[in-house]
Amino acid sequence: MNSANQIKPAVLYHLTLVTALVVAPHFQRLDLRITLAFLAVLFLRWMTLYFAQWKTGRLLLFAVTIISAVLIFTVYPLLMGLEAKIALLSLMLGLKLMECRRRRDLMVVLLLGYFTLITHFLFDQEILLVGYVFIMVIALTGLMIEASRSTHTTGFRLNSLRYAASLVVQSLPIMLVLFFLFPRSSGPLWNLGVDNSTGQTGLSDNITPGSISNLIRSRAVAFRVDFDQDAPPPRQRYWRGPVLWHTDGNRWTRTTALQAKQITYQSLSPPVSYQVTLEPSPNNWLYALDLPEILPPEATLLPDFQITAKDIRNRRHRYSMTSRLEYHTGPLSRRERQLGLQVPDNITPRMRDLVSQWRSESTSDRELVNHALRFFRTELFYYTLTPPLMGENPSDQFLFESRRGFCEHYATSFTSLMRVAGIPSRVVTGYQGGELNPLGNYLIVRQSDAHAWSEVWLEESGWTRVDPTAAVAPERIEQSFDFDLEENNILGIPVIFSTADSSLLKQFAKQFRLGIDAANASWHRWVLGYSKEQQQKLLQHLGLGALSALKLALAMILATAVLIPLLLFLLRLGSQIKPDPVVRDYQRFCKQLDRKGINRFPYEGPLDFARRVVRKRPDLKQPVNAITQHYIKLRYGKADGPQLRKAFHQLVRQFRA
Amino acid sequence: MKELLDQVIKEAGRIIVGKEQTLRLALTCMLANGHLLIEDLPGVGKTTLAHTLAKLIGLQYQRIQFTSDLLPADIIGVSVYHRGDETFQFHQGPIFTQLLLADEINRATPKAQSALLEAMEERQVTTDGKTRALPQPFFVIATQNPAHQIGTFPLPESQLDRFLMRLHIGYPDEAAERTLLSGEDRRHLLEQMDPCLTIEQLKQLQQQVPRIHVADALLDYIQDLLKFSRTSPRFNHGLSPRAGLALINSARAWALQAGHHEVLPEDVQAVLAATVGHRLHSSGDTGIDEGSSLAQFLLQSVPLP
Repeated sequence: MNSANQIKPAVLYHLTLVTALVVAPHFQRLDLRITLAFLAVLFLRWMTLYFAQWKTGRLLLFAVTIISAVLIFTVYPLLMGLEAKIALLSLMLGLKLMECRRRRDLMVVLLLGYFTLITHFLFDQEILLVGYVFIMVIALTGLMIEASRSTHTTGFRLNSLRYAASLVVQSLPIMLVLFFLFPRSSGPLWNLGVDNSTGQTGLSDNITPGSISNLIRSRAVAFRVDFDQDAPPPRQRYWRGPVLWHTDGNRWTRTTALQAKQITYQSLSPPVSYQVTLEPSPNNWLYALDLPEILPPEATLLPDFQITAKDIRNRRHRYSMTSRLEYHTGPLSRRERQLGLQVPDNITPRMRDLVSQWRSESTSDRELVNHALRFFRTELFYYTLTPPLMGENPSDQFLFESRRGFCEHYATSFTSLMRVAGIPSRVVTGYQGGELNPLGNYLIVRQSDAHAWSEVWLEESGWTRVDPTAAVAPERIEQSFDFDLEENNILGIPVIFSTADSSLLKQFAKQFRLGIDAANASWHRWVLGYSKEQQQKLLQHLGLGALSALKLALAMILATAVLIPLLLFLLRLGSQIKPDPVVRDYQRFCKQLDRKGINRFPYEGPLDFARRVVRKRPDLKQPVNAITQHYIKLRYGKADGPQLRKAFHQLVRQFRA
Repeated sequence: MKELLDQVIKEAGRIIVGKEQTLRLALTCMLANGHLLIEDLPGVGKTTLAHTLAKLIGLQYQRIQFTSDLLPADIIGVSVYHRGDETFQFHQGPIFTQLLLADEINRATPKAQSALLEAMEERQVTTDGKTRALPQPFFVIATQNPAHQIGTFPLPESQLDRFLMRLHIGYPDEAAERTLLSGEDRRHLLEQMDPCLTIEQLKQLQQQVPRIHVADALLDYIQDLLKFSRTSPRFNHGLSPRAGLALINSARAWALQAGHHEVLPEDVQAVLAATVGHRLHSSGDTGIDEGSSLAQFLLQSVPLP
């Protein structure tokens, strides 16, 4: 076999490792059997490298291929979905690695490796993954460089990695041009049949007791908020989501019976402006602080101050919003009163008794509300993540028997009681609080911040927010909702809130988490959020105006075509060591002669050149020989000194061809 | 010193007509204390060249005609039982000389070849468990016929590497050939010739070679040459560090005989083809020896730093 075609064993060892690392992020998505099969193939490859006498014969390869094919068709019978294709790609990569004998095979494996790296972005575009992919690109490129080196060099040289890293860095400007100018579709770039909505959680448009307490087990981010000014205090951070009017005694749902009308309210505090970056969710509503005032263009405000928007399902969406934290919503419409007083059939006598007792003790609706809140505060109610299972009549059972519940139990029972008392009321779901990330100075609102509260209509203040949960567990509202799920998994026990100064390690882990989240948030905002609109805005700033996709593509090609020679020029300029003044002078001398048509070959030595010059121009014999003698002494001889340099410089300056 | 060497060249030029460059390279090789391989067709003066050099420097001279039945003992010598004092006595072979002409080295079997090549490398001979030093100075001038001729055992690359230089003589030009044809018998001329250089003088010159200054700029140039040979796809494999050392030594010796006080790129270029030609192979090795054209390609591809 020709030596140019052989692969160094060291390269194959490293390639096996790098291939495993390249596919590694897919392991979480692939069926465990596929992952194990892939690792087994790599292990087999490694063994055949380690024990050189074990040759990978055709028979073995054939057997492994058949087993892999059977496995893939067992796990994914129809090869449907992205996962099946990834499984196929991973296993084929492993098999190709097994039969890697010649340099050509190696190149195929490396290119497949690059391709596999791209497939990660179909699932995830977080900054950590991007960093990982960058490292893997460097590793693959390093292997490619190492493989192209002469077979006489042994071992793996870090040199190759350094070279690969510098190659990747050098390609950054081109990457930026492509990033800024590549024509965008108005949808998300990766919306190529990727199962985006799987595994996403979020609020739904109805609640039953227990639905939110399930949701809050997820630490997934619901949205992030950047405030234009200081963030409002935790007790004012009520992020309004779906408003629920109708109840059957168990389930609370939205209503469509409200007619659209001019929505106005009287604002009593300065405006608060902020930008929300909503994580992908299957819903079409936006969240805003109570109450929203100025909405993004794509949004519509419903009469109950819920906001819906078009085309935002299952993709990350960023919007600006302005809210007023104190307000008066004005008079109540007939329809709203009717809906706000709807009472389910399962109101029990003891609930009615309780309400009439409060009514008799109070002179106004407001006083009655306070009575109710006092009831929740003074009676033995517990705030728990794991409420006991409710039977036929959850409100009654919760109020008088179990007395253990989560926010939705409190909000729904409270609202029911208010309706019995004749006070128009409704349940509002959304999020409450959020964690302020000091590193990025923004608020992270997680699914675990999901919350439900009540709104009652009072003559003197309009729709007024009442949060019965705050009466039972004020920590929930005042602090960031930080709890340890491990400590809270026993049925019915009250929530144990994490204390601020937990162990140092926990603090550190939290700090790290916040740091990553801050990086990710900027990443989403500036890189992944670079949409068609932003692109057009940028082009307008550059004075190019709106460009069609075709023109944009042409501009991209043109910019790249200009950039590459420029980069090459700059790199060459940078790599040149500042020439020695002696060399510079000699080059000047050569340039003089070049103008007269006597061109020095790049490989020509000074003596040969001088001889040639004198043959062509005998009149120049004396100065040319003097310059050459000086140059030789300075550049190749032992003699050096300012005197000699000066004399040489002088000679070159005086030289006229 | 230069005059002395020029005198040697001038005298040799009377025998080997019109081949001044080849003579200078051969002399350079001796100054650098290296062995010389001359490769060419029969009858172009390979043997005469070796003979001339021996005569001019006044070296003790031996010649071995390599044939396919030559044995190592024929080169090194053999121990013979002596009846008188009942001992084995070593009878020195032709290798115990100052200048050895190994004629048609590629006609011998590898076994005989390696006996010679080992001695060349070690400058000593070991037989019957006894090590015997070879005389000082010790040169081997080997000649070989082009590899494609019938009945040859081409020297392997590892053994070609033992030779500092490989030269081609080539046909003489018209004028030189005329002189040759009309002139006296070369053998006769050779016999009449007196040495121009003593062995002492040769040793002195050899000691001067390493003292020739090599500037950083020149080392850069040599490294660029080596690097190019290792990275260019034109070559099957690059030049070894030993080739680099050979190149620098030859360039120094060349600079000495050219009268330079320091090694110039021209000195490197002058010896490049002779020094690296037999160490280079093109990547698509065709079996035809392309060493010289490869060296020329190397020379013209690497600019002076």
